[in-house]
Amino acid sequence: MILEIKDLYVSIEDNLILKGLNLKVNGGETHAIMGPNGTGKSTLAQICMGHPSYKIESGDILLDGESIIDKTVDERSRLGLFLAMQNPIEVPGVTNFDFVKAAVQTRMSKDEHLRIGKFILKFEKASQDLKMGQGLAHRFLNQGFSGGEKKRNEILQMKMLNPCFAFLDEIDSGLDVDALKLVGQNVTELKSNDLGLILITHYQRLLDYITPDFVHIMINGKIVKTGKDELIKRIDQEGYDWVKKELGIEDEDIKPYSLGVCPSKH
Amino acid sequence: MNILKFLKEKKTLIAFDNEQVINKAKISKKNNHLNFEKENDYFVFIENYNLTEKLVFEVNKGLNLRIYLITYQSKNLEIEYEFNIEENASLELYTNFNTRRNNKFNLKLNFNLDENASLKLMSALIFNGNLSLSTNINLNGKKSSAEVEVLNIGYKDTKFNIDQFVRHLNKSTVSNINNSLIATDKSKLKYSVSGFIAKGNELSKAHQSNKGIMLSDSCEIEVEPKLFIDEYNVEASHGAAIGQMDEMQLYYLLSRGLTEQQARSLIIFGYTNPFISMIEDKDIKRLLTSQITRVMKGKADNE
Ligand SMILES: Nc1ncnc2c1ncn2[C@@H]1O[C@H](COP(=O)(O)OP(=O)(O)OP(=O)(O)O)[C@@H](O)[C@H]1O
Ligand SMILES: [Mg+2]
Repeated sequence: MILEIKDLYVSIEDNLILKGLNLKVNGGETHAIMGPNGTGKSTLAQICMGHPSYKIESGDILLDGESIIDKTVDERSRLGLFLAMQNPIEVPGVTNFDFVKAAVQTRMSKDEHLRIGKFILKFEKASQDLKMGQGLAHRFLNQGFSGGEKKRNEILQMKMLNPCFAFLDEIDSGLDVDALKLVGQNVTELKSNDLGLILITHYQRLLDYITPDFVHIMINGKIVKTGKDELIKRIDQEGYDWVKKELGIEDEDIKPYSLGVCPSKH
Repeated sequence: MNILKFLKEKKTLIAFDNEQVINKAKISKKNNHLNFEKENDYFVFIENYNLTEKLVFEVNKGLNLRIYLITYQSKNLEIEYEFNIEENASLELYTNFNTRRNNKFNLKLNFNLDENASLKLMSALIFNGNLSLSTNINLNGKKSSAEVEVLNIGYKDTKFNIDQFVRHLNKSTVSNINNSLIATDKSKLKYSVSGFIAKGNELSKAHQSNKGIMLSDSCEIEVEPKLFIDEYNVEASHGAAIGQMDEMQLYYLLSRGLTEQQARSLIIFGYTNPFISMIEDKDIKRLLTSQITRVMKGKADNE
């Protein structure tokens, strides 16, 4: 499968965040997206998933050549899109188990039946793989989970749902060294020709475990540079200033802007 | 008397209406006094019983009791229940009151707790009618404690006025109130939740939390939490989170492929599920679940 983002402009509450973003991910590829805070990385992942607060101004998102921007969030998920969120949402009263079960069931065709025993085994295996602890299945979804547990729970869901394209938005933040390794291994195990991965991260350490085929640098709402491993190392050592200098990108924040009518001092 | 089938089979049943008393539980009943002397799980079923005086439940010293109280009253609509929980006794009380449509129903529940006594009250309030309920809990004895769990679902033109009042009248008394409220259709749920700690009753704790979800444009939920505290060395808190269904919770569930209807049902279930799971008796649990399913049918659909 192919996920293609074409000249995408996206706004939130009248602020333009994505400004002509292009990206093409083939099944089996792993792409890393790096970039300064506030540059629109999460926006990209959320708009692909169909987050209700973001608005597409122009451009398109195509799955195997077909636009998905008119599809609902759940339809996109069932088409194979997955987003491990930067901040997973807590849903009190709904157990992790019931939730994942419903998510798996909704993917089955009408005449298929969930084989509960098999499902339980798969769920337990996935929990063990991620060292999630026994009680997790019956705890309420993300409620009271530690930062790292929430992240691992996202990967658990990914394992259970077998997506075709998965955005992992800062899956490494909040994970301790061992957990990072564990998540890295689990995601690497999921790699196949049927899975396109988009890793959003700030640090090299995640990419030590999950090797990307492409590394993109995103600044001010678009991808400004694409390369390989060498970009990661340089960003890790030097940050983003060199990219900006090289490409002549001005920092938007430093640009003078009007605060409306203010008395000016002379 | 129209006793629910599964109740008939309970060995510890006491059921009464105006004509008849079925007392398999062998509870001593003198007029309107029920005296519980043996530790057990009891099932109390009351149908259209003419109560001119209050109905009193005595929980004797040191006993640990569980009582399931189910009533179908559509005639006598001013009713007062009193529960006296003696020293070192504990009562876990489940109530499910029912009445016919549009009846005006006036209900009082009074609890008196002696030293070291404890109460866990679980009230399911799920019927279409007009209810005024006042729950008064008097923590008279030292170290007495009360936990109150309410699941209230308003539908059609249900109108409920609920007053909850906990009085901390001794040292080291503890109260904890959790109200889970769901409103649909044109229902109106109004709560006033008060905790009162009198001077000198140090080391007492009064906590309350109120959660409410409104599923239609014309329903209302109003909660007024109040704390009256006249002592420094105590703990107290209240919170109220009332609103529409949380957009982000919905989005999260949708993003895993649940349809909007499934996602909404699951979030609503998240309000009812913690309450249901507290109920020990399987049959009572099943009855409540089917009651909820019946009134919530179609309510998860986005209007
Ligand atoms: N509700 C909102 N209203 C206005 N601006 C918003 C809103 N939500 C996000 N933004 C802005 O959109 C921009 C892009 O945010 P986004 O979360 O996509 O950045 P990011 O690249 O993921 O950053 P980080 O690395 O910090 O996660 C930010 O400047 C943010 O402040
Ligand atoms: Mg982000």
